[in-house]
Amino acid sequence: MTLWRLEWLRLVRTRRLFALLTAYAFFGLTGPLTARFLGEILRVVGTDGVQVQLPDPTPADGIAQFVSNASQIGLLVVLLVAASALAFDARREMAVFLRTRVTSVRSIVLPAYAVTTAGAVCGLLLGSACAWYETTVLLGAPPAKAMLAGTAYGVAFLAFAVAVVAFVAALVRGVLATAGVSVVLLLLTSLVGGLVRASTWLPTGLLGALGNLTAGRPAADYLPSLAVTLILTVAALAGAISLGNRREL
Amino acid sequence: MIVETSALVKRYGPHAALDGIDLHVPAGSVYGLVGPNGAGKTTLLGILSGLRRPTSGTVRLGARPGRIATLPDTPQFDPWLTGREVVSLAARLAPPPAGATTATSRVDGVLAQTGLADAADRRVGGYSRGMLQRLGLAATVVGEPELLLLDEPASALDPAGRREVLDLIAQLRGHATVVFSSHILADVQEVCDRIGILRHGRMLFQGGLEDLLVGRATPAYRIRLRTGADQAEALLRQQPWVTSLRSDGSHLIVGLRTVDEAQTHLAAVLAEAGAKVVSLGPQEAQLEDVFLELTS
Repeated sequence: MTLWRLEWLRLVRTRRLFALLTAYAFFGLTGPLTARFLGEILRVVGTDGVQVQLPDPTPADGIAQFVSNASQIGLLVVLLVAASALAFDARREMAVFLRTRVTSVRSIVLPAYAVTTAGAVCGLLLGSACAWYETTVLLGAPPAKAMLAGTAYGVAFLAFAVAVVAFVAALVRGVLATAGVSVVLLLLTSLVGGLVRASTWLPTGLLGALGNLTAGRPAADYLPSLAVTLILTVAALAGAISLGNRREL
Repeated sequence: MIVETSALVKRYGPHAALDGIDLHVPAGSVYGLVGPNGAGKTTLLGILSGLRRPTSGTVRLGARPGRIATLPDTPQFDPWLTGREVVSLAARLAPPPAGATTATSRVDGVLAQTGLADAADRRVGGYSRGMLQRLGLAATVVGEPELLLLDEPASALDPAGRREVLDLIAQLRGHATVVFSSHILADVQEVCDRIGILRHGRMLFQGGLEDLLVGRATPAYRIRLRTGADQAEALLRQQPWVTSLRSDGSHLIVGLRTVDEAQTHLAAVLAEAGAKVVSLGPQEAQLEDVFLELTS
């Protein structure tokens, strides 16, 4: 029994991995479906006499619909799952068991971070695969290179989001507080990106990369954002370990 | 000394949880830390285990890194793990020294030793509080640590479980050093060879149990009477050598100025009262008496 296996069992036995996979798969399957039938849906629920005209949906619309849902509710599920693994100081007695048996919290943080990120990435890959398949069937095939590049950018963003949770968990104690503060931080980052038109330099810019790349935007546009994301991910993890080592129980 | 602290202070704002503690724990001893609630016992154990930092003062630990095990007062574990997995994880994180029994047999051994062999493959979420305390103890001893820091290790256990834990602690004497805090003074008196009494963050006494008990408690006689208790009590209250008088149900506890005076006059007073004496003898000093005397 190792700390790596502990984190794997946490994902599997608490059904958190199931929650991640289900959430992303659900949005992967329903996103393109919604895009394909949005016009019909609006006609059915619309008011008499009001006619809504939408352009014919494209493969990019199917993927964008998936990205829109996955980047909100899917991300929220990821943050909650990550907080439950990384806020290990939330219950003092449980924290004592782990903390008094390791020389640095690095030994606890890294397996929790890596396994949670892997679980989230599996969810995203499954969701993207579902969205890709469903879009191909209903709206036509999206460009494969754009799909792969966009998904890779999404993976980088999830790695960053889980690192933010690790950092916040070293600042606050509770699971919900950790998830809540992480949500606020990511929202603020997104807002800042929108206000100063710097979204291609911020990690949150990667959130919509999959949708934008399938719509024709060049993948290279997101390289600055990717570089900043990788740097901030490493910094957040280093901060989490440093703060965690200094925290008193 | 395996544990030595010097002028150890821990402040939370203006409040001093520990105020100049000089702790001396000899290697291989069983050291009992007693004190009323809020005395600073858990804070002191927290500092020794590295979970808290002192405001000032020094801590010197003779145990090697990774050879110190801590048991909190109410141990908790992830409820979806089995008991065996918890102990296996503890053994993996703080393995026994090279040459010791293999990890698997060691895990099975401590599970049996703590009475959890039958429940080892059940999920911890279904364990009672007493079973969690046993599991915590199993996880603590599985790595054969040099120093064990136990916070109220028997507080949640039934009498049989308490006996097993005390026996386990007693078995560790000489092989490892145990520092444990407890409210159950009879437990401390039974298994500890050294004791520290804390109150308001200060060490009121530290030393061998014998040193504490001999000459500390007020001398007293313990008398059991079949009849004439009221008359005897009235007469005893008039004696200048009687310092206190109380009943603990079936016995009269007579506090004395000196034992010598009781030996000279007590029998005569009881005879004068017409009391029928069932038993009579000096009251042995109890840790509880000394503790109350020191901390009140």
